[in-house]
Amino acid sequence: MEFAWNEADAAFRRELVEFLDRELVGWERSETGLGSAVHSDFSRGFVRRLAERGWLTPHWPEEYGGGGQGAWQHFVLGEEMWKRGEPRGPQYMNVNWVGPSVIKYGTQEQKRRILPPITRGEVFWCQGFSEPEAGTDLAALKTRAVRDGDGYVLTGQKIWTSYANEADHCFLLARTGSAADGRDGISVFLLPLRTPGVEVRRISGFVGDHSFNEVFLTEARVGADCLLGEENKGWEIVRRTLAYERVGAPRYARAALVLDRMAERCRADGLLSDSGVRERFGQARALCEAARVLVYRVIDERAKAKEPSALANQARAAMVQAERAVGDLALDALGGEALVEGALGDAQFRNSLGAGIAAGSYEVQLNLISRLILKLPKE
Amino acid sequence: MDFDPSPTQRALLDALGTLLSRSAGTDRSRELAERGAYDHVLEAVLRRDGFLDLFASEDAGPLEATLAVELIAAELGAVTPVPHLLVLPALGLEQPAGPVVASLDGPAGPVRYGAEATQLLLADGDRCVVAELDPAAAEPVPSAYGYPLARVVPAWHRELAAGTAGTLVNWWRVGASAEAVGMMRRALDLTVAYTKDRTVFRRSLGSFQALQHRLAELSVLVEGARWLVYEAAFNGAPAEASAVAAAHTMTALGRLTRETHQIMGAIGLTTEHDLHLWTLRLQAQRAELGGGQGPRRAAADARWAAAS
Repeated sequence: MEFAWNEADAAFRRELVEFLDRELVGWERSETGLGSAVHSDFSRGFVRRLAERGWLTPHWPEEYGGGGQGAWQHFVLGEEMWKRGEPRGPQYMNVNWVGPSVIKYGTQEQKRRILPPITRGEVFWCQGFSEPEAGTDLAALKTRAVRDGDGYVLTGQKIWTSYANEADHCFLLARTGSAADGRDGISVFLLPLRTPGVEVRRISGFVGDHSFNEVFLTEARVGADCLLGEENKGWEIVRRTLAYERVGAPRYARAALVLDRMAERCRADGLLSDSGVRERFGQARALCEAARVLVYRVIDERAKAKEPSALANQARAAMVQAERAVGDLALDALGGEALVEGALGDAQFRNSLGAGIAAGSYEVQLNLISRLILKLPKE
Repeated sequence: MDFDPSPTQRALLDALGTLLSRSAGTDRSRELAERGAYDHVLEAVLRRDGFLDLFASEDAGPLEATLAVELIAAELGAVTPVPHLLVLPALGLEQPAGPVVASLDGPAGPVRYGAEATQLLLADGDRCVVAELDPAAAEPVPSAYGYPLARVVPAWHRELAAGTAGTLVNWWRVGASAEAVGMMRRALDLTVAYTKDRTVFRRSLGSFQALQHRLAELSVLVEGARWLVYEAAFNGAPAEASAVAAAHTMTALGRLTRETHQIMGAIGLTTEHDLHLWTLRLQAQRAELGGGQGPRRAAADARWAAAS
């Protein structure tokens, strides 16, 4: 047990920070707009510059265009990005779990076709999991994929698909078995969103620009080369994917950034001399820090190539608590100023309403902690 | 970065665990509490086996000393491991035999083992003072919270060099939080085990989701506090990290006390049941660290320096 950064990781962070300080001059989208057109346009240019330095997929194996670096360097990258409002845009999904899933389960042909555009930063992927009647209860999904000749025909509807409006491809779950098979009848498809029969519609929402899209699939035909892994074995891939997704985005880093800025504002306004306000700031800071250290614990597991465990659920729950605390404090401490569109804390509060819903609801995290860590019996 | 104990750390904790299984634990703790006594025997054994020297030893250090503090508290050792293992070595002071007490914020109120203590460490703003105590002058106060408490009367004292108040406060925050973490983990384990065994409405109590979620949230809080404490100790108890660790420990402690007792029901309120051995003592750590508000404000002050 020790908590020091090794020299290679520390040097990587220094070099990265220097690059970002130079590269992100004038980048002021640190709080808002992830998934917006403006953000995505910036991201498309920015990730190519990252890719040129090998910093888009540093943790991937070298044979797939990665830098062969460890889980910690990957995480340092994520932390520095989220501290700055995630200038990679939706790209973090590609690099965190779409690519790694293809590396683990894809055919040689799929790897050749799918991975290079990701490592070059040329594409956005989105995640087609939730449906109108299958969100937290994901195994209830109904979108069907029917084998037809040398391909599949996809019919159904996805919803709450973040970034579908900006994405080129979708990591899609569909039912290839019968509904009675539950999680044993689900497969993963790597779906190009330009496929005829695929329609994306925006849903108006107030939690960031990216959160709400619907994806309608009307007899959309894809080749068999779009199936990832074996037919009906998609749940295993999802399980792994979710473990990576849960702590893929170091959201505490953004919450901590917003908290710092709020504290600066409150200090300038004289509000921090109030001991009650200071207490709230200290508590929120502690929640951000607890989330950080629990996430680090998961990265340690990952760096040691252990199987993903329920520690990821603990870390995720802690991140949700941190995001909520900072969001609440924005409204409590900043008064009416926090209500102004784009104001400090405005996006944090609104995003925090979704923090416990995306990537597996807060309650699902608690269920998994109960079952897998505390070993409590099922109902 | 490595979250698994090293072979050395494992061996150390195994050895300490063996020692404590003989010289501490619930029975011993009940017996000493009955008499309101400090465990001089345990202190002597810990000293003999080198556990009081971990902080500055070659093959261990502050983190190992902190892990030991956690385990001693979890096993209800009736000694004062925070000053002996962490604070006195951090201040470069000799470790006297017998309990050492502290006050982090001005004159001391009732303190643990105050009636037997011969030394008081006191932080008062930027001042740091070591005071000799006269046990005969101490005034014991009755208390249900597991530790024998007394108001102490400082006799002779000397002021330590500028800057040492921070060292005292930061290491005490880390140490008392480590104690709390060890005790919270035991209380939580006990409660979780109870919910598995207890049947209500023909189901195990632990199968009710309303309780599962609360226990899961406790585990998130306690684990968060635990790793913040270890990290702060490893890094030498920096002001912000120590305050943050203590602040989060206090958040966990408040919730854990309420929830474990609520979930355990009336049996948990009896002296026959073990739960109170940890949950009542935890309130002493709470008082010592200034409740939730002290460390939270300190965390804010440390991070946003010109806060106040």
